[in-house]
Amino acid sequence: MTLTGQYVAFFLFALMAITGGVFMINLNKVIHMVLSIGLSFFGVAGLFVILHAEYLAFVQVLIYAGAITIMMAMGTMMTHHATAEVLPRRKWHTFLAIISAITIGGFFLYGIYKITWPSEMAELNDNNVMAIGEKIFTNYVIPFELASILLLVALVGAIVLAKKEGDE
Amino acid sequence: MTDLLHLNWGLLAPELTIVIIATVITVADLVMNDKGDRRVFGWISVIGIIIAIYFTVNQLNNPNGVEYLLNNTYRVDSFGSLFKLIFLVGTGLVFIMAINYIDKKEIKYDGEMYYLLLTALLGAMMMASSADLITLYIGLELLSISSYIMAGMKKNNLKSNEAAYKYVIIGGVSSAIFLYGASYIYGLTGTSNIIEMASRLPNAYHGDYKFYVYLGSFMMLVGLAYKISVVPNYMWAPDVYEGAPTPITAFLSVISKAAGFAIITRIFVTLFVPLVIAVDPKTNQQMTFFSHELALYLAVIAALTMIVGNTMALRQTNVKRLLALSSVAQAGYILVPLATLTVVSVNNIIFYLMAYLLMNIGVFTVVTIVNKDAGTEDIRSFAGLYHRSPLLGVAMTFFLMSLAGLPITAGFIGKFNIFVGALIEDAYWLAGVMLLTSVISYFYYFNIVRQMYMRPGHTEAPLRVAYSLQLVILLTFLGTVLIGLLPNVALDFIANNLNINDMFNLGITK
Repeated sequence: MTLTGQYVAFFLFALMAITGGVFMINLNKVIHMVLSIGLSFFGVAGLFVILHAEYLAFVQVLIYAGAITIMMAMGTMMTHHATAEVLPRRKWHTFLAIISAITIGGFFLYGIYKITWPSEMAELNDNNVMAIGEKIFTNYVIPFELASILLLVALVGAIVLAKKEGDE
Repeated sequence: MTDLLHLNWGLLAPELTIVIIATVITVADLVMNDKGDRRVFGWISVIGIIIAIYFTVNQLNNPNGVEYLLNNTYRVDSFGSLFKLIFLVGTGLVFIMAINYIDKKEIKYDGEMYYLLLTALLGAMMMASSADLITLYIGLELLSISSYIMAGMKKNNLKSNEAAYKYVIIGGVSSAIFLYGASYIYGLTGTSNIIEMASRLPNAYHGDYKFYVYLGSFMMLVGLAYKISVVPNYMWAPDVYEGAPTPITAFLSVISKAAGFAIITRIFVTLFVPLVIAVDPKTNQQMTFFSHELALYLAVIAALTMIVGNTMALRQTNVKRLLALSSVAQAGYILVPLATLTVVSVNNIIFYLMAYLLMNIGVFTVVTIVNKDAGTEDIRSFAGLYHRSPLLGVAMTFFLMSLAGLPITAGFIGKFNIFVGALIEDAYWLAGVMLLTSVISYFYYFNIVRQMYMRPGHTEAPLRVAYSLQLVILLTFLGTVLIGLLPNVALDFIANNLNINDMFNLGITK
């Protein structure tokens, strides 16, 4: 495999996405977790750019890396997290988890490497924002509207579950 | 480009009714005084559901066959309409339970509870009436997210908090697994419409991409397994069912599970039954991916689910945990017809789900009444029920007999059909497991019956039951017994209205 710029970029972004995720799980302070998941989001955005999905990359940065990370950081600052909770680690648990993750990951990798993909590039629409917009507002308008109800439900749920009862 | 305004939006009538009622309730909830009685929202919802049932029954007799909107992102076919009837009737009964159950001290936001029940119902309906993975998935999430919130509605109850928390984590992970699997199938076929997918999948399968077909189908199955709580993904069920408010537990065990079966049947039958992997040289018969690869996994899952659910239920003393594991076992029974697929399998699934709806809603209604009176969810709260309220005791006995699969009940007919279906397909071991685990299930079902008749209760005072709950119990009781005595009425209804070819048929649009 030749070392092209694309290959290097892919490697960097993939590393960002994975390390962000690993840190997110293993760090103890909430604010550190938020920052590492932000790193992971940026890595994914980079991968989208490599795949010529610029619009998705843009949305990924704007919504995930931007809005969600900032929201979580703000939320962390406004609530009390004086002590970082250190969870007791169960050795057997960790061991079994690592073994099963390696087995499943290895199985997937084996299968994916065994298969040769056709190498010609697909015709990609240069104007993919327009293509996505057209699809969403014609063919996929029903799931789109359904998703708006879904967001409303999530909003109502967040308020109901997280609201502090003042009058009691 | 399609002109959106000229589409036949009337097809969406059942769903739109639910959306409109949900919107009206949200707005009315905002306007209403904080101390106002919100039970009226529950009754408005019940009326809305009855209207939606009317629309759905009308669509069932649609002379045009399958109709769809926008490239099958929404479709009306007999399979979907029958499932929608199950969801609507079930949710209607759950509403009546909820109206009586909600106590302002425990559930402060009851207006939201009704709203979330409606959106969950909407999600379930969408899961039954689409042939597009994107709509199906958003329906699934709408149902799931509404359910997570409803499970945690008792905010000051630790168990309820735990239920919501466990449910959201397991649900999220399962969703991710499902999507990962679906992405492989999407990648192979380049479309999210499952009927088109099915037509392109044989190319991919025979063109050296077998591994992805296996991986994709297997991961989709594992991901969806959580919705019907079968073996790889059943462990959340006891905790969530115990912590959630009882009407919500009934909702999860009946409607949510039926929706899970709807989406599994829809995706797997549509995608993998037309996928022919080889032709048997001796009999010259086509071997399909579904019956020669997937069926084995399904059978193993079904068998393990029946064994695990039934044996674990033996040790439970909390009645809601017991019923949770019983519903795990029931999901195992309902998977058997899928694992031994014949032309009547889907009929059997729908019939069993109808019977299951009646008996399980009935059981949970009685549980709601008894637990509320006793203030505990222990199985001993049933002690002396027969002496306190003979009719309630008899009804409960029938529901439990039906769950156990004893004659003259709907559950017996459903189980018998499934059993015979397994025998016809020569799946003797699966039928054997089913028979054996059914016998095991008698122990825990009759443990409750023994408490009702033979143990002295803490009081002999007659148990008062609200009229609306009496109505629910009467309806479910009559349904359970009548379907048990005259099964042909229900079987003919399904056979006349279900056209299994609808699932593979693109349909028409106007």
